[in-house]
Amino acid sequence: MTTSFETLNAGDSIDGPKFAVSRESIRLFCDASLDYNPLHLDDDYMKGNFGKTNFGGIIMHGMNNFGLISRMLTDWAYPAGAIHRRLETRWVKPVKPGDTIQPTGIIKSKQVTKNSRWVLIDVMVRNQTGEKVATGEAMVEFPN
Amino acid sequence: MAQAEAFETDFWKDANLRKAWDGIVPGAPRATIPYTLTREAIELYCRSVGEDHPIYFDEAYAKTTRYGGLIAPPSIHILLMFSCTPADDWMRSPGTVNAGQSWSYNIPARPNDVITLQARALDKFIKRERLFVVHDNVFFNQHGDVICSGRGWTIRPE
Repeated sequence: MTTSFETLNAGDSIDGPKFAVSRESIRLFCDASLDYNPLHLDDDYMKGNFGKTNFGGIIMHGMNNFGLISRMLTDWAYPAGAIHRRLETRWVKPVKPGDTIQPTGIIKSKQVTKNSRWVLIDVMVRNQTGEKVATGEAMVEFPN
Repeated sequence: MAQAEAFETDFWKDANLRKAWDGIVPGAPRATIPYTLTREAIELYCRSVGEDHPIYFDEAYAKTTRYGGLIAPPSIHILLMFSCTPADDWMRSPGTVNAGQSWSYNIPARPNDVITLQARALDKFIKRERLFVVHDNVFFNQHGDVICSGRGWTIRPE
């Protein structure tokens, strides 16, 4: 059934596709984003400490999570004629090669403004053990 | 990787030229450079996050949509942040840890758009002994239209 503003309810869920994280997927994201920070490339560098944190190896770009959430939202919005308007995210836990992550969303509320209609969505990304690695909020516009 | 070939991928090079937390002035503009967004760069970015919607790849399909042609995914600003800034930009400092970001989207970027960026550090603070900088950014197309605007929180290397 096609999503429509009228039929959406708080608590409805959106499932994004699973994403297998590997050294190759991280390297591809480096090339695609031009973000070659050694956090994502250099095993020797990642043996060190970052303040109080030791990651124990290279980590996926936080913005890779962001890209996956954004993909989930647009794939959900396009068929409904809706527009992905805002995404805010926080990184909760590092993601490493070998992890499998999946974005999801839960409709929080709907709101009608003078000129349009909006859906507010809580988003998160979980890893293969169900731990949250990213959380956030999104806004999708359903134009009149 | 066509776009990477012209881009300095060794972020250690020129690392000493980049501002550390102490030298970053909230409110001061960051140097930026215009960037022509190619279809090839969009397709590479799409591949990296598994984007497979035809609106990014299939021109005939894209013409039938509200956008009237191919567009880039909203999150293309992830690439634009690095393609629109020079090698001595402090966002490239090795050890920069991204803590979170928020972005608002106005109109999509499209293949062959010439993208410009207005960017600055907006705030800096210390929390739990970590050195934070807040940066804000607005991307425009060649017509002066806002594509998207966003804010990010990074933990700076010591």
